[in-house]
Amino acid sequence: MFRSNPTRQDVMAESSNTPNPGSFDVGRLLEQARTFLAFGEEMRQCSEHLQENAQGSADWSSALRQHFEQFRTAVAATAGDPEVNPELARLWTLILDTWQRTAESMESASIAPPANWSSAAWQAYQQTQNQYLRLLQRTASEALDLMEQRLSESAASGRNIDSLRELYNLWVDCNEESYGRMLRNAEYSELSGRLLNALLRCYAPGETPS
Amino acid sequence: MNSLTPERITEELQSFQSRLARGVQALTEVGEIETGVSSRDPVYQEDKLVLYRYRPRVAEPHPVPLLIVYALVNRPYMMDLQEDRSMIRGLLDAGLDVYLIDWGYPDAADRRLTLVDYLQRYIGHCVDYLRERQRLEAINVLGVCQGGALSLCFAALQPEKIRNLVTMVTPVDFHTPDNLLTHLIRHVDVDLLVDTFGNPPGQLLNFAFLSLSPFRLAGQKYVEVMDILDDAPALKNFLRMEKWIFDSPDQAGEAFRQFAKDFFQHNKLVKGEVVIGDRRVDLHNVVMPVLNVYADQDHLVPPAASRALAECCGSRDYSELSFRGGHIGIYVSSRAQREIPPAIADWLLAR
Repeated sequence: MFRSNPTRQDVMAESSNTPNPGSFDVGRLLEQARTFLAFGEEMRQCSEHLQENAQGSADWSSALRQHFEQFRTAVAATAGDPEVNPELARLWTLILDTWQRTAESMESASIAPPANWSSAAWQAYQQTQNQYLRLLQRTASEALDLMEQRLSESAASGRNIDSLRELYNLWVDCNEESYGRMLRNAEYSELSGRLLNALLRCYAPGETPS
Repeated sequence: MNSLTPERITEELQSFQSRLARGVQALTEVGEIETGVSSRDPVYQEDKLVLYRYRPRVAEPHPVPLLIVYALVNRPYMMDLQEDRSMIRGLLDAGLDVYLIDWGYPDAADRRLTLVDYLQRYIGHCVDYLRERQRLEAINVLGVCQGGALSLCFAALQPEKIRNLVTMVTPVDFHTPDNLLTHLIRHVDVDLLVDTFGNPPGQLLNFAFLSLSPFRLAGQKYVEVMDILDDAPALKNFLRMEKWIFDSPDQAGEAFRQFAKDFFQHNKLVKGEVVIGDRRVDLHNVVMPVLNVYADQDHLVPPAASRALAECCGSRDYSELSFRGGHIGIYVSSRAQREIPPAIADWLLAR
């Protein structure tokens, strides 16, 4: 009945544990460290702007609004060309970067890249990816609105934010909240499914190694 | 933020940069990351599957073995991650005789494996091996996450071989409104995915998990790790978890096709419409005592997805155990170590 019913434990291969899952990717950490530094620089400029332009609380709110408007504009600029400011772009394209890395690793691990990069399927994939990027940009902009609102609320209630890390954590919370709303709606479900399907259509079934 | 001056931010950035420089050095010096701490021996092997017996930690372990059926999508060492975070060690300390199926890493040779292979052949053979070894009609099974869904299918098809069934963070109703994984897979062309890859890559599944909370899981945690780079044990704990997160096996193609379509997209398990080979899985046949353990903040398997079992299984001795925490915390948090293994052991030993 059994394929094997060993009596000697030492003949039992531990083959199921042998593939190396890979050591820690320091690159991932460095990338996020650079992103944190970019965020810090943005916030340093914001703080400078507030110091220079805000004397009373009304000034402060208006100066905050002005700076966040600039922040949103800078983020929008990176949507057109992430290379303009890659670190700032990474602040909001994290999931797209992760997706692209996943797609690349799948190519190298399992399937050959498409033979024709100008094919209709590849163009369709690029178009879908651009739609995905636009959705992420909208979410990033909503996250900045939320952060501006939270900062104003905390200033109004006399609650101080004393460290850059605290600000960063607030930024993460706002992005998670805004991203989470997007994730749960039907548009995201449809678009993320379409993104994967479009990538898969770039590869002819049956041409992958068996 | 009105008290946060530019000078203070500059200071913090400089401090972060110097910690980063030291941290990269610490990461290169941390050495090998070990996982799986409890002593165990392989006792049965079939294809890439290895059945392990964990060495008992009491003089006379419970005579009915407990077989752990883990998910196919991650590696099972999460159950035995490190000395102070090991569900398996807790079960051993409570006097149980613990076995675990390690599915291994499917490769191209496994792309045609179906759920029939996983259920009737692999789980079936492990169950029979333990029944013969212990000369018992039936054994205890602990199914974890996707492994819980597989265990439910097996228990429904061969109820006479399972004495007690424990399901842990197990999805039963895949269409509860808060089920984000179903939400993500709903529009995926599963046939195209399997036909393209053969075996869907583990990285793709990993992306799906990360995409549920990217700013925390792929961003913030790498900033926070800067705080513990000088603390070697804490750093090792972090790296151990990182290793597990990114250690995602590829999925055997045909088994994935059926699981993704029948369970996730069409929710057939709870409807009694899953067919394995030529047999329908009817959860009303799950008549043995059932303990259903779920996490009340589980974002991967929402509590409602697990608790649906109450309505559709046939057991007259059905109970639930709610854990205050999430899908990962239930394996590794210190509270889980205190609460879960003793509760499972008490429940089993009483039956």
